[in-house]
Amino acid sequence: MTNWDIVWDSRDLLWQGFLNTLSLFSVAIALAFLLGCLIVYRLEDPKTRWRLPLRSFIDIMRMLPFLVLVYLLYYGLPSAGIRLEAWWAGLIGLTFYHGAYFAEILRGCRVTLSNGQIEAAYAHGFTPSRMFIRLILPQLMIQARPLIGNQLVYALKDTAFLFIITVKDLTWAANSISATYFVPTEAFVAVIGFYWLISLVMEMAIRYAGRFGHKRGFDHV
Amino acid sequence: MSNIASNVSMPSTEASADNKATDHAVGNRSDHVVEVRRLSKSFDEVEVLRDIDLEVSSGDVVTILGSSGSGKSTLLRCINWLEKPDRGTIHISGQRIGIDENSRKPMSQKALAKMRAKTAMVFQSFNLWPHLTVLNNVTEAPIHVQGKKREEAEALALSFLEKVGMAHKRDAYPFTLSGGQKQRVAIARALAMQPEVILFDEPTSALDPELVGEVLGVIKSLSAEGYTMVIVTHEMDFARAVSDQVVFLEKGLLIEKADPETFFTQPKTDRVKRFLEKQH
Amino acid sequence: MDASAWPMLLEGAWTTLWISGISIAIGIISGLGIALLRIAKIPVLEQCLVLYISLGRATPLVTLTLFIFLTAPSLGLNMDRSLAGILALSLNTTAFNAEVWRGAFNNFSRDQREAAMACGMTSFTCFRRIMLPQMVITSLPGLVNEMSFLIKGSPSIAVIGIVDLTRVTNRISAVTYEPLPPILAAAVLYMAIIGGLIWLQRIAERHANRLAI
Ligand SMILES: Nc1ncnc2c1ncn2[C@@H]1O[C@H](COP(=O)(O)OP(=O)(O)OP(=O)(O)O)[C@@H](O)[C@H]1O
Ligand SMILES: [Mg+2]
Repeated sequence: MTNWDIVWDSRDLLWQGFLNTLSLFSVAIALAFLLGCLIVYRLEDPKTRWRLPLRSFIDIMRMLPFLVLVYLLYYGLPSAGIRLEAWWAGLIGLTFYHGAYFAEILRGCRVTLSNGQIEAAYAHGFTPSRMFIRLILPQLMIQARPLIGNQLVYALKDTAFLFIITVKDLTWAANSISATYFVPTEAFVAVIGFYWLISLVMEMAIRYAGRFGHKRGFDHV
Repeated sequence: MSNIASNVSMPSTEASADNKATDHAVGNRSDHVVEVRRLSKSFDEVEVLRDIDLEVSSGDVVTILGSSGSGKSTLLRCINWLEKPDRGTIHISGQRIGIDENSRKPMSQKALAKMRAKTAMVFQSFNLWPHLTVLNNVTEAPIHVQGKKREEAEALALSFLEKVGMAHKRDAYPFTLSGGQKQRVAIARALAMQPEVILFDEPTSALDPELVGEVLGVIKSLSAEGYTMVIVTHEMDFARAVSDQVVFLEKGLLIEKADPETFFTQPKTDRVKRFLEKQH
Repeated sequence: MDASAWPMLLEGAWTTLWISGISIAIGIISGLGIALLRIAKIPVLEQCLVLYISLGRATPLVTLTLFIFLTAPSLGLNMDRSLAGILALSLNTTAFNAEVWRGAFNNFSRDQREAAMACGMTSFTCFRRIMLPQMVITSLPGLVNEMSFLIKGSPSIAVIGIVDLTRVTNRISAVTYEPLPPILAAAVLYMAIIGGLIWLQRIAERHANRLAI
């Protein structure tokens, strides 16, 4: 029996890890994107009281390693009487951490948007929330597409940190296969292949989305 | 400082005198600094230059006129091989550029660079190196191409900066200069190579109108000092005042070649007549 | 958390800093090397490098670190933990830096290159004297940005038992049974380090913008 056969026999473990990574990643990324949009929408109002707290939140997240945030949630919060399961700590961590990055990306694009069209929208009787959803957000998404794509890859990679707090993800699967049968090379090559596959699919999706913007004259991105 | 300046105020005539001597010694070609023979060049099947003949004698100023897209820049850029011609030969003071005469193969990078160092070019968009001060822009090639010592190169550079009226900005970075100042530094950079010919590609086209004069003034003073120059320009009065010879390009053909008086008062072809009428 | 925890934290911070620092230096230089090899477009090698960059960007650091540390013995290599950590971090950051360098090379002004050629510079002299100094300035914001990403990824070396600034908090709380204070303290230290890099990046950006005009 070759080492690859051993890995093949452990495919259930790998599959479980893959599903765990994928579900954590996709739920977290959807929530994070929502959070990012909400923050940017809040910041639309120049006089909002939320300005300082939101800006600080974004800046703090940008200066923290993801694992430290996860440590705070998983090891730190119990001191405050809140006990989270590893999976939930991971999900919340991913959501808040990458939500802040999405907010920063969208905000960066927001400042380059011309004010003329926003005045035009008000002149046409749009409410602020409708205008944000119908006009601003679509443009931000088209413009920020490459950066959003990068952030998706970063988020996928950050899920692997959750192995450290015992989430049974892909990296955990590789580690346990390699520890049980002592086939580290094959186990990790297989798992790295999975990560690579997911990021290639995302890259293709992002590129496909680029054609959407291209048709609308957003060539410069 | 003024000492050095007066010492090097006529480098070109000295240099070209040297050339003539070596040319005669080798005895291979006439005493033209630039000699272009049957030059042709196409871009993607479109012939941009066809059978161009042009010669520039030492100390002469030749201006190239023609409407936009007629191939003026391409001709100039072929002379120092920034564009590779398809056919024809170009000699710089008797030595062929681009093709090794013995092996008939393209020149080695090193040999080509050495040939290019005999010429200098002033670009429409200045093309100063933004990471270097004015002085270092001028000393860069003398030190790193010609292998001059830094002190020597700096003294020389300062004398040329003085000549173009930019010595007071020696330590400034290009982004702090006006267009006219940048172009004057670019001219000093060209002079510092002590080239046998200086090629100008529309040196004032990117300048605000009120800055054109200062640059043309510098070029005029160079012509008075006997520098050999080939100039592409749209400034007719300047061309008339400064040229020893005017050539006119039309759709890649050299259709007229004359001294400025004849060219501007009795053009031979209707095309040039119309071109000159449009200028007024 | 009492006063004795601080020396431990600082030691952890020092471990993070020196391992990251070495990886950053390796990553910047080998990133430039790989960018230049890619620009040379050597067949086969070109495809290998594209594959490496694609894989390097997609592989999580934790996974890569474990992979290197666990696989090395089976290849007969005796790999020290720190070495495995440095190797993983540098392999990762090199892939990103290579793209930063390549972008700077490809976007380099053709006009300036022609000016250098017209002065009789060879391609090599032009690269060394004209392009490289400016590529350093234009790449710096991107490179510094990658440095902060590297620091943020550096806790991954904890999985192979290196006691860095993140893992040291486990050590401290194992004694004090109070995990929150050391984690908060580590967070503050990280914020100081990465905040410093973000500040550096802003300065670098200002310099790079000055070149652009
Ligand atoms: N690199 C190139 N690739 C393709 N075509 C080119 C290239 N450079 C120049 N051309 C074409 O060659 C023709 C001649 O160009 P050239 O720049 O020599 O004209 P010009 O006389 O200098 O015009 P202008 O007065 O506008 O500078 C033009 O039609 C131009 O489009
Ligand atoms: Mg032109």
